[in-house]
Amino acid sequence: MNTTAIDYKNIWYPPGGILVWIIIVLELFTFGAALIAMAYYGNQESELFHNSSLKLNTTYGMINTLFLLTSGYFMAVSVSEIKKGNKLKSQKLLLLTMLFGMLFLGLKSFEYVEKLNEGITVGYNTFFAFYWMLTLFHVIHVLVGLVILASVYFGIRKENSNTKIEDIEASAAFWHMCDLIWMMLFPVIYLLF
Amino acid sequence: MMKNAATITWFILILLTITSALVSKLESKYVVLIILTLSVLKFFGIAFQFMEIKKAHVFWKTLRL
Repeated sequence: MNTTAIDYKNIWYPPGGILVWIIIVLELFTFGAALIAMAYYGNQESELFHNSSLKLNTTYGMINTLFLLTSGYFMAVSVSEIKKGNKLKSQKLLLLTMLFGMLFLGLKSFEYVEKLNEGITVGYNTFFAFYWMLTLFHVIHVLVGLVILASVYFGIRKENSNTKIEDIEASAAFWHMCDLIWMMLFPVIYLLF
Repeated sequence: MMKNAATITWFILILLTITSALVSKLESKYVVLIILTLSVLKFFGIAFQFMEIKKAHVFWKTLRL
């Protein structure tokens, strides 16, 4: 594997590459705009938003945050290890990254089933329209991230791997983006109203 | 990234998450401000340490702000 040092100070090469960073910036702006809209509607219908947020389980949200943070930590260390040439250790850490990502999805699915059983769907009220749209959109990103990480894992597992360090960094940047989006969603959806 | 730096960052992020969940239960006019401040800190922790933006060109660092 090519682990040549990359000059990150080059404006055209942030860690992960410029293409993934264009995606990250656009995604963060999109989610940010949606959250501003949610805050605006929350201000208009403050009682409805407050009562609706009480129907959410903060503990689920917090545990899911811990899952994603832990997953992000393993991802960061995995990238660090592959740069040092510790391929086997990096693979194990990548597996742990994916495991915590799947735990996040498992708990989110459990929460979704609970809400659906209570009859709380996307059309329930304005708060839950935002809840379903934002969290489902985020879940799609986590699923895409897991597919990317799985492809990187199988890529670096090969004896004559042609996976470049840039590819691994780009996948890591995408995975961390899922963390960043959740860091915006968790306080606004679960804690603020 | 140094493994120790990553571990310390992870530990701080966990603490900030638990703190924001606990603070949300308080009855104070500053709750919103505290929760949003803690979220911004977590955001920067991930961006600068895990995503290694601290090593990037100043343009990307500024974009995070």
